[in-house]
This record gives sequence, structure tokens and C-alpha cells, in this order.
Amino acid sequence: MERREAIKRTAALMGGVIFAPTILGVLKGCTPSAERWTPVLFNSNQASLVTALSGTIIPATDTPGAVEVGVPGFIERMVNEVYTEEQRNGFLNDLDLFDEECLNSTGNLFVSLSDNEQYQYAFQKNGEAIDSELAGGPQFFLIFKELTMVGYFTSEVGATQVLRYEAVPGIYEGCVPFDEIGRAWAT
Amino acid sequence: MNLNLKAKKNNTYDAIVVGTGISGGWAAKELTENGLNTLVLERGRDVKHVEDYPTMLLDPWEIPNNDMISAEEAKHYQKQMRTGYTVLETTKHWWIRDTDQPYEEEKRFDWIRGYHVGGRSIMWGRQSYRLAPMDFEANAKDGIGVDWPIRYSDLEKWYSHVEEFAGISGEALGLEQLPDSKFLPPMELNCLEKHLKESMMDNFGRVLTIGRAAHLTRSIHGRGTCMMRNLCMRGCPFGAYFSSNASTLPAAAATGNMTLRPHSIVDSVIYDEELGKATGVRIIDSETLEVVEYYAKIIFLNASCVNTTLIMLNSRSNRFPNGLGNDSGELGHNMMDHHFRVGASGEYDGFEDMYYHGRRPGGFYIPRYRNFGTDKRDYLRGFGYQGGASRQNWTRAVRELAIGEQLKEYVTTPGKWTMGMTAFGEMLPDHSNRMYLNFEKRDKWGQPTVVFDTEFKENEWKMREDMKNDAAEMLEAAGLKNIRMFDSPGGPGLGIHEMGTARMGRDPKTSVLNKWNQVHSVQNVFVTDGACMTSAACQNPSLTYMAITARAANYAADEVKKGNL
Repeated sequence: MERREAIKRTAALMGGVIFAPTILGVLKGCTPSAERWTPVLFNSNQASLVTALSGTIIPATDTPGAVEVGVPGFIERMVNEVYTEEQRNGFLNDLDLFDEECLNSTGNLFVSLSDNEQYQYAFQKNGEAIDSELAGGPQFFLIFKELTMVGYFTSEVGATQVLRYEAVPGIYEGCVPFDEIGRAWAT
Repeated sequence: MNLNLKAKKNNTYDAIVVGTGISGGWAAKELTENGLNTLVLERGRDVKHVEDYPTMLLDPWEIPNNDMISAEEAKHYQKQMRTGYTVLETTKHWWIRDTDQPYEEEKRFDWIRGYHVGGRSIMWGRQSYRLAPMDFEANAKDGIGVDWPIRYSDLEKWYSHVEEFAGISGEALGLEQLPDSKFLPPMELNCLEKHLKESMMDNFGRVLTIGRAAHLTRSIHGRGTCMMRNLCMRGCPFGAYFSSNASTLPAAAATGNMTLRPHSIVDSVIYDEELGKATGVRIIDSETLEVVEYYAKIIFLNASCVNTTLIMLNSRSNRFPNGLGNDSGELGHNMMDHHFRVGASGEYDGFEDMYYHGRRPGGFYIPRYRNFGTDKRDYLRGFGYQGGASRQNWTRAVRELAIGEQLKEYVTTPGKWTMGMTAFGEMLPDHSNRMYLNFEKRDKWGQPTVVFDTEFKENEWKMREDMKNDAAEMLEAAGLKNIRMFDSPGGPGLGIHEMGTARMGRDPKTSVLNKWNQVHSVQNVFVTDGACMTSAACQNPSLTYMAITARAANYAADEVKKGNL
């Protein structure tokens, strides 16, 4: 809706003369979809882990969660395309290590834990990572959490249903009661 | 013979403008509006306003990989990416691939640039400040470099002239060190910025104001007002910030006097020894590789500081073996930029029930207060600050305990107010700071490559101490907590304000250009981009390039009409 609104406002401002082919081209931009994700980098264990862990960090509630908006595919694409080869290999290795540690400490792979156990284990890992980051440098769990959050809060659901997003604010007001805005801005 | 004469006639204009960025666009507008038949050359592709801004309307979820380019592509942009903010998936088409035009660094130099119609006027920061009377007097007073051949009073009406067309929003303050522009209404400061403003006046007697910027807060000249999207660098569908594409080039085209030729890399200026003046330029068509000559009575070089200097150094003749107009030996020397990325940031407890609406494209400005009035430091000149406040967003939760349902709930409320500022400091002209050409190593167009040998020196390093400490002190006085200072200068060039390599001056023995921006010894060649600057001041320079260009172009047009050029 906001996209439509943006174009309407653009058209209005340009005196109604709008460059139809350009706008149509923009409108055709495709959104990654969860259902269509076929892993090209992750093996099946890694893909299952990425799905389970991102879904634990941002689960479906009254709004869709990370898995429903395609975050696992987003993570794979980031790691596959934006990461350097060294970063990519490090990430894949860390994924396997995460499962190995989980197996050692709980007796199960992460994906085999119950929802509640997954939450408890991830909550613990998150706390440990925050504690040890200052001394120990970048922590895999926080890197993964950040990827999950970036994928989710730049998705249409994350940006517009959980947070608030306006494509074309139109005005700037510097001091507004938070109550009038209601939710934190996505961008 | 007849054919050649005919070709020559077809390729002859009243004026040639090299470059279509901030200054080239202005040269094109002023010359064509004065009735001169003008050829405007651009080395890159054509970019039509709105039509050629392919990413201007994309929402975050329409952009792959969080707007980051792939590791494979990044290999081609290693230097362009040094800013950390320029080369994104949505903006990469505005920046050159370093592998297309390599350069050498005797000392680190960040040459950040884009080749297309509009140049960096599409991606610029839009901050627009007049230089002050004291800035034009500083070199003479301090015995640094050479004296400017003009004073503020020479430029004052031209500042007004360009401001009325470009549209500068801001607040009139009547400050001696930062003269007011002809302003459109200012944008608003937010809660914490207003608080800092009051604290700074109470505690230090220093001024904070909203950034003065080339954003329309009221529609003028058929361009729309700013819609507060803060996606400027992708190109503005409303034409709400000043760019050549939205503003000067359409005005030039409307006269019917402009011929715009993209894909035209200027190799050199053609100098006629008998006539004692330039007769035209030689270009390489970047698509066909054909070499073509164009002729005109006057030539404006607006290719940006480094490329204008490159063209001049590459224009060698018997009369000018070391580059066009280089009798002084100063061509390529006195390279300046602004030194920045030094300052402080902090957090504020308070205003927790307050927020903001819209994404204001820019922040606040703190005008220079050092070495001004009664203040005297152990270094010369001064600096201004640019900064802004906002509330922490969802990204803060990466390093918080919340995960799962709690995480989703947690991020719906904004976090603490935070504020940061970076200083922009004046860099002194120094003969040893230079660029030169390596004629042995050529790029894919056969052009010599640029070598940079420029560094920040003692005066800059001393100034940075104040730039860092003052920022922390002002934030602390305003009650901010967890204040962190930063100092990460990068290389000269990172400010993307490179300037000074063909400076104006009074004496042909020590400068390249005269007070009308004419090459001293080749008076039908004008240089009005950053290369002409005699000193840098600490203000963002684009508005001054506009004013200097408009002044020189109107002078040049008059001289052509009088038959003097």
C-alpha cells in the first residue's frame, strides 16, 4: 500500500507526468519467498539448523516469524554472496561447531530439541556471547542473531507489521510524543 | 580540405564546458543563458533526471543483501568503498570501478568519484555554506600559500544568485564567520539537538543551528519539496535537492543553446602557439575510441579538481612543456581536502516519551568558533561540526539478552537517545602536497595515471586534538553519558572535497589562475571547480564552487560579447 501511495505522491508532485516504464520496472522487484528457498550453499544439516535457530530468535507470534518471511534464504545469500571466501568458510565451520556443542551439552542436535529447549539453549548462548564478546572478539551467535534481525526487520512484515515504516514521510517533525508514532521506526 | 573545413565548422561552438557536476552544470547554465552556443562534455554516460534513477523508490525488502554489494563486485570498488557509505547495491551505479581508472598512492589518497552526467552532484552531501570574509583574508594574514585575488565582497552577489536558483534551506543568524544565505525555511532540530543547542549557548556561548543544505523546503523553479525519505543518494524523484540533473542542466537545455555530449573523455586542451590561446579540446569517445576535436572561443574546465588538473598536465606543448598554463610550477600542487572523522558521541537519559516523524536528510551544524574573535589557539584556522541525534533502533537488540517473543516486543519501543558529531577542519595549502602524472603507466583509454603525494601535516594534527576534545566537552556539558571520542582520519580525499591544484592568485609566478578564474597565460581557459581554490576554509565547498563558476561564466560571456575573447 505504501508503495502505491509513494507512486501516487510522486506522480502528484511531478504534475501527473510520471515515467510509467520506470515505475513499472521498480514495481516488479521480487521479494525473496520462504517457500521457494532451495539451499545452494548450506548442506541439509546446516539448512535445518539455520531455519530452526533463526525461528527461535524471531518466532511467529501474532505476526509471522523469521522463517515465514524467508530469513534462512536471506542468511544463505548474505553468506554466499557478500561474505569473502574466508568469512564464508568460517561461518560454515561455526554452524557445524554450534551443533556439535549443542550435542555435547544437551545430548541432542539443536533441531531435535523441543521448542522450549531450543529457546532455553539459544537464550543461554546469547548471554554467553554477549559476555565474552568484549574479550573474545566477534561471537558466532551474535553474528547469526544480527543476520536474522537484519533479514527480518528489512522484510516487509518486520518493517511494517512489527515496526513502523513510511516510504514517503512527507514531513519532518523533530519532537513528537512517542504515543503519536506508536511503534519504533524501521528506518 | 573542404571536408576538413566543414568538419571543423560542425565541431565549433562559442564555448566548451568540460564536466557536468556541480560547477560544470552552473557553467553550462550561465553560458547558455547568456546566448552562447555551448558544447557540454561528460566522460560518463547520460543520466536523465528521475528516468535514470533506477533505485529511487525501492523499499528495504526490495533490495537484496541488506543493500551490500557482493564480495566479488567489491573487488572492483576497493578504494571507492573506503568511505564506508558510498558503494551500496542501490548506489553502486554512481561510482566508478577502481579497476577502470587505477591511480597510484605515494601516500594514501582516497579519490572517490563517479562518471556520468551530473557527476557527484547526484551523490553529494548537500551541505551548503558561504565562506566568510575572514576566509578570503586568512592566507594573506597568516602568510600561508598565496593571497586570494578576490574577497567576500566579490562573491557575495554570486552567492545570492546561485542560492536563489539552487534553493538552500537554513536559519539566518547574522554570524560574521558564517554569512547567511538566501534561505528557504529551515528543517527542524529534534528534542536532544535543541537541548544541546541551549546547553552550548549557556555553557560556551557557541552556536548550533540546523544544517544549511540544498534541500527544498518549499517548491521553487518547478522542483518539489523534500519528502523526508533520506534516500538522496539514489537520486530524488521530486528533484528536491540540488543536482545538475534536476536543476542547472535542464535550465541550460531549455535555452536551446546546449549540446550535451556524454561518453567524451577530454584528453587535452588544444593550444595554438601562434594565436597564443586555446582553440579547443581533444576528446576520446569512450564508446567508439574515436578521437575528435572540438573548437570554441572559451573553454571551461569543470572536470573536478583532480581530472581538471590531469587534463591541464596532459596538455603539453612547446610553450607549456609542463602542462597548460603551468608557468608557475604550481599546477598539481597545494592539494587540499577537509580533515574530519574526529569527534565524539554519547547517550542521553531523558526525552524518553519523545520521538520524531520522518527521516530528515542531514543534521545540525556548529559554526567555527576557534581562532575567531578573542579565541587564539596554537594552530591556524578552525573547524565546524556536523552531527545529529536519534533514538536507538532495533539494531541495539543484537547485544541485548532478549531473544524470541521478547525480542520482537522489545524492539517496538525505541532505545535511548544518542548523539554524535564530527568536525570538518581546514587543511592548509602546502606546495609539497601534490598530484602528478605517470606518463609511463596508462589507463585503458591511454590516459596517464594520477599519482598522489599528499598528507595531513602538523597544523591539521594539532587541530584534531581540539576537534576531538571540544566535541566530548560539549556533549558532557549537555548531560550526555558514556561519551566516546573517535579519531579516524583516513586519507586526504576522504572528505570528497579535493581542491587547490590550480589555484587562483594575484601573481602568475605563484598561481595558475587570475581573479576571474582565467589561466594567467591562456586567458580563454577558465577553471572554476575545486582546483581553483586558494585556501580551503572549513565549510563544505560546493556552494562556493557554484558562486565562483557563475561569476566567472558571466564575466567570460561578457568578454566574448565584447570581442575580447
